[in-house]
Amino acid sequence: MKQAWGALGPAIAIALVTVVAGPASAPNGGREPRAEVGREPRVDAAALFNAGTDALSRGDPGRSVAFLLAAQRIDPRAQDVRANLAIARARAEATQGSGERERTPQSPGIALSTGEAWWVAALLALAGALTGGLAALRRARRGLFVGGTVVLALGVLASGWLLLRAREERRHPEAVVVVPVLEVGPAPDEQPRSPYLLGAGEEVRLGRTRGGLVEIRVSGNAIGWARRSGLWRVADAARYTPPSVSR
Amino acid sequence: MIGKTGLIATALAVTLAAAALPRASWSGVSASGRLSIEATLEPDHVAPGEEATLTVRIRSAGLNLPDVDVRPLRNVEVQRAGTAQNFSMVQARVERTSTTVYRLIPRTEGLVSIPSLRISVGRDHAESAPLTLTVSRAAASRGAPPRPVRGAGTGPSGTPEVFVKATVDHPRVYWNQQLVLSLRLYSRVDIIGDVDWKAPGTKGFWSEGLGPPRQERVTLNGVEYAMMEIPTALFPTRTGALTIGPAQIRFRVARVIQPPDPWSMLAVPEVVPQDVALTSDPITITVDPLPPRAPSGFRGAVGDFRLALHVDGLTARAGEPVMARATIRGTGNIPTIRDPEIRALGAAREYVAGSSSRTDRSGDRLTGERETDVAFVADRPGVLVILPVRLVWFDPEARRYRSQASDSVKVQVLPGNLAESQAGRASPGPPILAAPRRASGPFGRLTLDPPDGGTAVFGFSVLAYGAAIAAGRIRARKHRDPRFLRLQSLAALLARDLARAESFASQNQPARAAALAENALRAGAGYRFDADVAGLPRGELTRILRSRGAGEGEISALESLFESLEGIAYAPPETRGADTKQALRAVRALLERYRGELAR
Repeated sequence: MKQAWGALGPAIAIALVTVVAGPASAPNGGREPRAEVGREPRVDAAALFNAGTDALSRGDPGRSVAFLLAAQRIDPRAQDVRANLAIARARAEATQGSGERERTPQSPGIALSTGEAWWVAALLALAGALTGGLAALRRARRGLFVGGTVVLALGVLASGWLLLRAREERRHPEAVVVVPVLEVGPAPDEQPRSPYLLGAGEEVRLGRTRGGLVEIRVSGNAIGWARRSGLWRVADAARYTPPSVSR
Repeated sequence: MIGKTGLIATALAVTLAAAALPRASWSGVSASGRLSIEATLEPDHVAPGEEATLTVRIRSAGLNLPDVDVRPLRNVEVQRAGTAQNFSMVQARVERTSTTVYRLIPRTEGLVSIPSLRISVGRDHAESAPLTLTVSRAAASRGAPPRPVRGAGTGPSGTPEVFVKATVDHPRVYWNQQLVLSLRLYSRVDIIGDVDWKAPGTKGFWSEGLGPPRQERVTLNGVEYAMMEIPTALFPTRTGALTIGPAQIRFRVARVIQPPDPWSMLAVPEVVPQDVALTSDPITITVDPLPPRAPSGFRGAVGDFRLALHVDGLTARAGEPVMARATIRGTGNIPTIRDPEIRALGAAREYVAGSSSRTDRSGDRLTGERETDVAFVADRPGVLVILPVRLVWFDPEARRYRSQASDSVKVQVLPGNLAESQAGRASPGPPILAAPRRASGPFGRLTLDPPDGGTAVFGFSVLAYGAAIAAGRIRARKHRDPRFLRLQSLAALLARDLARAESFASQNQPARAAALAENALRAGAGYRFDADVAGLPRGELTRILRSRGAGEGEISALESLFESLEGIAYAPPETRGADTKQALRAVRALLERYRGELAR
C-alpha cells in the first residue's frame, strides 16, 4: 500500500493541479486568442447537421465539412452525421483533385462526445477513489484497494488525455477551409516562396495570428500564412448558423 | 719555320690522338670487350621536384659482375629503385648482366652533371659516358606536345608511350553555343591506380561535365593505345578570343625493365613504378556574338530545342486550379534557359507552381529538358483560354534564329456547384445524403474543455482518495503503537468486561460479577504496567508489577481490591449486593485512572 501511494501520489497531485487549474490557464501564457471559457453556449447538433447538409446540397463542401465536424463533436454516434460528413469529405477531395493531403485523425475507440468523455473519466476517478479510499480506511482486503487505485488511475489517465486534446485545441484550433482555393504563403516579412494551395474542405489547424493572417499547420508543422476569412474554426461553426440553435 | 711548327703541331696532334685512343676504348666497353657499362637518363629535362630515371646496365663475360653506385649529386635526391640480374651460358661461355634503376629528384633549377660511372674486373675497365640533367621549370612538361615518356624501347621507334591531348569540336563558336572539350590520355604502358585530372582554366565559359571518364582502345599511326577521355561541355559567356588553359594530369605507370639478354631462361622483367605528370596545351577559342536583329521573345537560348505544352484537363470547375506545363527539350545550356511565359484568358488568379531542369550528361553533348508549371484558377464558369506559349532560340548550326509556338488550349470551366457539375458526367451514382433532422438536439458544447461538474467530481475524487489514504496511514501508524493498543484493550475491558460484571451485580449474581471484575482488574493492571499477568498467583503478580514500576501504594490498593472482590463470595447475603457494587465502582475508578494515565 505504501509503494502504491508513493507512485500514485505525484501523478494524482499533477492531475489535480492540471484538471482544476489547467483549462483556465493558457499554455502559451495567454499570448494566443482564445474563446470564452466556461460559459460556452450549448449548441444544437441538429441545427449544425442541417446547416452542413444544406451546404453539401448547395455544392459547398468547405462549409459542409465545418458544420458536420461541429455536429459530430456533439453527436458523435449519429449515423446521419457520419454519412454526410463522409460525403462532404469525398466531395472536397474530388474538388481538390487528389486525396494526398493528410486529414485530421479521428478519435479512436468508442465514439463519445467531449462532455461524455470528460464525465466518464470523472466517474471512473470517483469510483476508484471511493473504492480505494474506503478500502484504505477500513483496512479491507488488499485486492480491493489495488482495484480501486487502478480504476482511479484509469480515470486520471483518461482525464490527462482529454486535457491534452483540449490544450491542443486551445493552442491550435481545428479549422476548415471554406473558400474554393486558399493561398498559403509566407508572411510579408519572410522570404518569398511558392504558395501552397488549399482547397475547400481541407481540415487544418491554426496557429498564431498576425493582422488578417493566420498561421496554417498541417500534421503538426506550420506551412505558411493564409487569410483568416478563408477558414472557419470548428468550435465557431455555430456562429454561422441561425441564432435559434443556441440556448 | 712554318714547316717546323707544322711538324711539331702534327706530332702533338698525333701524340694527343694516341693518348686519347685507349681512353676512348674505355668508354662503355672495356678494351677486351668482356666488360661494358651503359647509362641512360630519361627524361633529361625536368622541373624541380619532378623525377628523372637513370638506368645503368652492366655486362660482364665471366662470373664476376662488378657493382656500381652513383655518388651523391648536389641538390639532387638519388634513390635506388631496384636491380635486375641475369645469368646466361652459351657454348660454355658465361655472361652476367645487371640493370640498376635510380630515381633522380632535383631540388633546384640548373644543370646537374652526372659523372662517368666506372667499373673494373681485374685489368678490365669500362666507363659510361657522362650525362647532363637539365632542371628548369620552363623545360619541364611544357615542351612540344604530345609529350612522350619514352620507355625501354618496347614500342616502335618515335612513338611515345604516353601523352595527353586536349581538343575541342568547334574552335569558333557563337556566344552560349555548346562546344565540347575532350581531354584524352593515350597510353601504351599500364597505368597504376587512379589518374589525377586537374581541370583546365575555363574563364569566360559556363562549364558542365559530361559524365565520368570514358575508356577505349584506339590506334594512332599504327600503334594501339589505351585512351581515357574526359569530355566537358563549355558555353562561352563572353565574345572574343577565349583561352582554355592547360590541364594537368598526374598518374603512375608501371615501367617494365627488360633483362639485357632476352634469350636467357632466367631473365625475368622487373616492374618499377614511375610517377608521370603531363600538361595539355592551351586552346584558344574564337567566340562570335549572335547575329543582330533577334526576334522578339528571344531570351538567350542557343542550341537545338523543342517546345511542348500540356494541360492537365480540358474541363474544370470554378475554383479548381488548372495546371499548364511547358516543356523545353533539346541540346544546349538547359539550366540557364529562362522559363517561357504562360498566360491565360479568363483566369482570376495564376500561380507559378514550380520549374525544374533535368540534364542528360551521358551523351557526347549536354542535353535535357526544362519544365515550367503554372496553375490558373477561374472563379466563374466559362472558358479558360491558355494562350500559345512561344519559344525563340538561336540555332548555331543553321546560323539563324528559330521560334516555335504551341496551340492555344481552351478549358471548359463548369460551375463550382458539385451537384450541377456532376449532373452532366457519367457517374456510378452519387451517394444519398442523409435527410435533415426535424427535431432539435442533442445539445452540447463545441469546445473540448472539461465541464464544470466533471471537473468538480474529478477533483473531489482525487481529494477524497488522498484524504482516505492519509487517514488510513495515520490509523495504521497508531495501531502499530503498543501503548495505544494497551489503551484500546483497557477501554474494551471497561466497556465490555466491567459492564458485564455490573450487569451480573444488578442481576444479583455477585459471585460471577466479582470473578469478572477480578479478571478485569488483573488484565487492566497488566495493560497499565505493560506486563502479561494473566493467570499468575497474586504474589507473582505483585512482584511483576513492582518490577514494572508500580508503587507500593498502587500495589496496596490493588491488594485491597483483590481482597474485597474475593471477600464478596463470603459476605453475608444481605450485604453482598452493596459490597459488590461498591467494589465494582472502585475497580472502575481504578481502571479509568489507568486509562487516563495511558492516554497521557
